[in-house]
Amino acid sequence: MTTEMAVDQTLDCKGMLCPLPIVKLSKAFKTLEQGQVLLLIATDPGSRPDIEAWKKRTGNELVQQSEEDKVFKFWLRKTV
Amino acid sequence: MSSILYVHTGGVKTPERSATPIYLASTAAAMDVEVGIYFTVNGPQLLEKGVAEKLIVPKHDGEGAPLIRFITQALDLGVEFYVCQPSLDLHGLTQDDLIDNVKMIGGAAFNDMALDADQVICF
Repeated sequence: MTTEMAVDQTLDCKGMLCPLPIVKLSKAFKTLEQGQVLLLIATDPGSRPDIEAWKKRTGNELVQQSEEDKVFKFWLRKTV
Repeated sequence: MSSILYVHTGGVKTPERSATPIYLASTAAAMDVEVGIYFTVNGPQLLEKGVAEKLIVPKHDGEGAPLIRFITQALDLGVEFYVCQPSLDLHGLTQDDLIDNVKMIGGAAFNDMALDADQVICF
C-alpha cells in the first residue's frame, strides 16, 4: 500500500477524453495558490504524456504519479 | 510565451475534420501557449451563426457532439479566431453572418502572424 500525499483539491476526470482533462486541469490550477497540490484522476490512456507535456510547458511540478487498473493519478504542485 | 497558429480549411462537408484543430488549440491554450486559429478555404463555413449547433462531430458509435461545444470551449480558453474576407466571399458570407469573437484579418496580417508564431499547423 502506498502512502498518498495531502491534497488541496481533487479533480476527477475519469471517463473524460482529450482534451478535457488538460482543459479542466488548467482551469483548476488558476484557482490554486502557489505551493498547493492538486490530485488529478484520469482514465484517458493518453494522460501520462499529456501531463508530462503540460507540466513541462507550464513549469508546474509533477510530484507523484500512480497507475492502477487503468486509472492514472497525478499529484501536481502549483509552482508558477 | 510560445505560440501556435492553426490553419483550419475544413468546412461543413467534412464534419469529421471540423473539431480536431479546435480542440488541439484548446489544449494549447490550457498549456499556457498563445494560440490562434485562422479559418480559410472552407473553414469560415463553421463560423456561420447557427451552423456549429447543428454540425455533429461524428463518433464511430454514432453519438457525436455538436461542434459548438468545441468552439465555445476554445473561445473560453482564450483561443483567437481569425478569418479573411476572400474566404468569406467564397461562401457568400459577411462578418455579420458569423458568430461573435471572430477577428477579420487580411493575407498580410496572416503572413505576419505566421512568421511570428513558433509553429504553424495546417489542417
